[in-house]
Amino acid sequence: MTPLRTLVLAAGLTVPLLAHADWLVGVAGPFTGQYASAGDQIKKGAEAAAADINAKGGVLGQKIKLEYGDDACDPKQAVAVANALVNKKVQFVHGHWCSSSTIPASDIYNDADILMATVSTNPQVTERGLKNIFRIMGRDDQQGSVIGQWIASKFKDKKVAVLDDKSAYGKGLADEIAKAMKAAGKEPVLRESITAGEKDYSGIVTRLKNAGVDVLAYGGYHTEVALLLRQADQVGLPLVVVGGDTMTNSELVTAAGQLADRVYFTFTPDPRKNPQAAPIVERFRAAKIEPEGYVLYAYAALQLFEQAVTQAGGVERAKLEPVLRRGKFDTAIGTLEFDEKGDLKKPAFAVYKWTGGSYDYAE
Amino acid sequence: MTAAALAAPSPLALRLRDALAVTLLGGLLALPFIGLVTVEEGGALAVRTRWSAWAMTLAAIFFGRLALRAALDAWHTRRPARKRAAFSSTDAVLRRAAGTSLLAAALLLPVFFGDNRYVIDTATTLGIYVMLGWGLNVVVGLAGLLDLGYVAFYAVGAYTYALLSTQFGWSFWEALPAAGALAALFGILLGYPVLRLRGDYLAIVTLGFGEIIRVVLLNWTSFSGGPNGIGGIPRPSFFGLPFARSAEGQTFHEFFGLEFSPMHRLIFLYYLIVTLALLTHALVSRLRVLPTGRAWEALREDEIACKSLGINTTTVKLSAFATGAMLAGFAGVFFAARQGFISPESFTFAESATILAIVVLGGMGSQLGVVLAAAVLVVLPEVGRQFADYRMLVFGAAMVTIMAVRPMGLLARREPTVRLNPARSSAP
Amino acid sequence: MGYALQQLINGLTLGATYGLIAIGYTMVYGIIGMINFAHGEIYMIGAFLSVLTYVLCTALGLGPTPLVLLAMLFVSIAFTALYGWAVERIAYRPLRGAPRLAPLISAIGMSIFLQNYVQLTQGARIKSVPPLWQGSLSLWSADDFPVTIGWTQLTVVVVTLIVMTGFAWMITRTAFGRQQRACEQDPKMAALLGIDVDRTISLTFIIGAALAAVAGMMAVLQYGVIDFTIGFIAGIKAFTAAVLGGIGSIPGAMLGGLLIGLVEAFWSAYLSPEYKDVATFSILVLVLLFRPTGLLGKPDVEKV
Repeated sequence: MTPLRTLVLAAGLTVPLLAHADWLVGVAGPFTGQYASAGDQIKKGAEAAAADINAKGGVLGQKIKLEYGDDACDPKQAVAVANALVNKKVQFVHGHWCSSSTIPASDIYNDADILMATVSTNPQVTERGLKNIFRIMGRDDQQGSVIGQWIASKFKDKKVAVLDDKSAYGKGLADEIAKAMKAAGKEPVLRESITAGEKDYSGIVTRLKNAGVDVLAYGGYHTEVALLLRQADQVGLPLVVVGGDTMTNSELVTAAGQLADRVYFTFTPDPRKNPQAAPIVERFRAAKIEPEGYVLYAYAALQLFEQAVTQAGGVERAKLEPVLRRGKFDTAIGTLEFDEKGDLKKPAFAVYKWTGGSYDYAE
Repeated sequence: MTAAALAAPSPLALRLRDALAVTLLGGLLALPFIGLVTVEEGGALAVRTRWSAWAMTLAAIFFGRLALRAALDAWHTRRPARKRAAFSSTDAVLRRAAGTSLLAAALLLPVFFGDNRYVIDTATTLGIYVMLGWGLNVVVGLAGLLDLGYVAFYAVGAYTYALLSTQFGWSFWEALPAAGALAALFGILLGYPVLRLRGDYLAIVTLGFGEIIRVVLLNWTSFSGGPNGIGGIPRPSFFGLPFARSAEGQTFHEFFGLEFSPMHRLIFLYYLIVTLALLTHALVSRLRVLPTGRAWEALREDEIACKSLGINTTTVKLSAFATGAMLAGFAGVFFAARQGFISPESFTFAESATILAIVVLGGMGSQLGVVLAAAVLVVLPEVGRQFADYRMLVFGAAMVTIMAVRPMGLLARREPTVRLNPARSSAP
Repeated sequence: MGYALQQLINGLTLGATYGLIAIGYTMVYGIIGMINFAHGEIYMIGAFLSVLTYVLCTALGLGPTPLVLLAMLFVSIAFTALYGWAVERIAYRPLRGAPRLAPLISAIGMSIFLQNYVQLTQGARIKSVPPLWQGSLSLWSADDFPVTIGWTQLTVVVVTLIVMTGFAWMITRTAFGRQQRACEQDPKMAALLGIDVDRTISLTFIIGAALAAVAGMMAVLQYGVIDFTIGFIAGIKAFTAAVLGGIGSIPGAMLGGLLIGLVEAFWSAYLSPEYKDVATFSILVLVLLFRPTGLLGKPDVEKV
């Protein structure tokens, strides 16, 4: 392929050879950069779902074809990706992953009348009056208040500190945790932020020890939790950490070892325990992919697409949007129903605990 | 080609030996990263080997090196004595022609790609970077002050518009001068304490300044929204006519009797950034021939000589910082208006590095070079989207290669804008 | 009191790592006057290599013995040095004599390349090794806050001291050290006196990379969790340290590293950690205001 032709292709000038013989579904997320491991999970889930659906004959007789867009969690790239996907005439989007990417990108999909299913948890995603977003995950404020209340009842007599990593996700979650704790009459002894991506947290850990903190409520990602736990252990501080959905990542266990057994977190009721999902989970494990974190969410997003399009008899917004807003969809992550804003009607959160490398409901 | 080289053993044997040596080294380098890989297994890391990938890398290095050498040798023998001509009047004509045709292409782009939002949007991004590049060119290319924190002024502009419009209802056109002025003020505030510093000390302080602005925006939640950023920033309207399907007053498409299309706004934004960029260009070109601009260039060449000639280096430096900052402020306003949502993530050091790379790759001081380099740096990663994972790898390698091939930048232009004796200078 | 002492230990350990990386910046700057932006990635490569060696050793059934540590150090230094050398050959040597900013951009390109190279070949997931030794040495427990130093922290400090001493000896006492300093002073004159300037520059990169490899291994020992992005933050901090100490000055780099480590530790100990980086950079600006060439930098004499 000559460079010129490459350019022309990239500019989207050429009509796809098999125009509209397939459903084109965009999958956008951070496939490179700091959060590429989440992007990995999304890719695996979406690929498996497309393969499974296509093996059953596709949707309304047409196969699903995936079109990936890498935003690296950068809002500017997210806009470029969204435009590229719109231009490739995708008919549905699963993504983006980072709230700060989803927010600017969703405007573009809305303009182009493309519906999207996202796992971004920042409340702002659905609070801006856009009608094309369907969030298949709970919101930070819901999750945060579950964590806050749980801490207030479970660790009544312990000293609790609240930290975040200054990301939109982490700070939003930590703010809600602190709010819910205070509402339940439990005052955090410390409320600070750390910088994600650094490796040395000995300063803040020593400070936690000095303040006699037993429990750390953390808004942020698993890497920092692993580091905090290891460094707390080094100064002889038996810290217990309570976090959000990002703690489902098994990297936490690899990185923190046995210390991971001190981590509690909230997540939607385990899709892996969902009887509907059992055969899917089996297939993933047979292919040596652990269906953790966002894998099943990506799978569910495509199931959502399959069922909604089948019911609506087409992918046009006018047909599809009412179906999504009113319908009930059985997916790998449970039965999904959406409210007017596009949030889940019953975003159940359960508290989990890591034990010996796998997580289960905490007592 | 020297006599010694001609008397050497057969070139093929030499090339083979050279390629073998390179392959050996490359193979060693690749061994721990391509030949071996650590993977998670049962909660701990284990090592896997990838000999086939490694062997393929070795083969690629070997034949790649052979081909490269052959190409280089051919290139060297083909142009044995062509002197690197200095800039001549034909160059100037060529440059003008290139500039004019680029301008025509920029103006006509929406005519041909009016329904392709990806092209229009990428072109708009390109416009922002061209504008930023021209702004930084004043500081780095003309005044020779290395600024690694240019993104700070861009952020100041973007947040000024975001806050003024969402909190106080200012329109785009009202906020534009205000943001420019505020960014210029920040430029002076930064410039003042660092006047004594030179070269790389200046670079690290500007880098620090950029980081400080970003960290403050990230943490001062009540002011800037912290990591959540600011959303719902109003889009610029067409002289009061909004680009919406329906609105309280008349909308753009109703006024002109067109059918509604979301492309109208994109095309308007595109022409807006082209206009802003052209204004920037006019301003900078004008300044270059004024005493201020000539003082910048003199300062770049020799600060001590400047001082002894009675040029006030303080005001010269500050004016360069302020002008550059103001232009970044304008670009920031446009960025905020186009994105509709800004957060500190858009104003990281990587952004400063990209803008600096545009200026240097373009050839410091060259306005046209900035356009070319911006096109390379913005379009390359977009073209690269089909290489998916290899996109940024290729991007980094391309930066290294371009610098190695053209160390002065794509279009080097370092000779003064104004000369005393143009007749002599055109044929040095 | 105990608390402050503990934070002092934290700061010194952190600063030791910054100092080791900063030397690489400062040496390269001293000899060819460029900021080697890819140096942070060299540190990252060093860390990856130590993890790889460790995992290989465990696969061979070796526990965390001193022998394994030596193997990690050795392999990491050898390959990282090779990378340092290759980076100089590919990205900087063709630019000798080019305008000052050209190698800077080349370095930024190299940094992007290396980061993505490691991500593509080793994956985006974090790499971790279990804590090699747990537990710590109790230093003082008279106060209400017991002061301890972790075994790994102690190792970091001791190894850094040994490496620094060896390095100082090499720079001041060996033929290479004299050549290196001569090239720093005046490369043209050094060449006239028969010093192979290119070779000296190559060796400078190799040594800078070796020190970064040591820093990378120390990070693996102490934190045990690395990923392909660790080079950026460490690189920026170390670069700041080098400038704070006076870029071009080797003791300055060490001093700058320690100072930044201390500022970070004490800032997060008593004030709000989120403004830690603001504090670091503000101190840098303040120091440069009064000493425009850093703490131990040579005054910048400009000849006309």
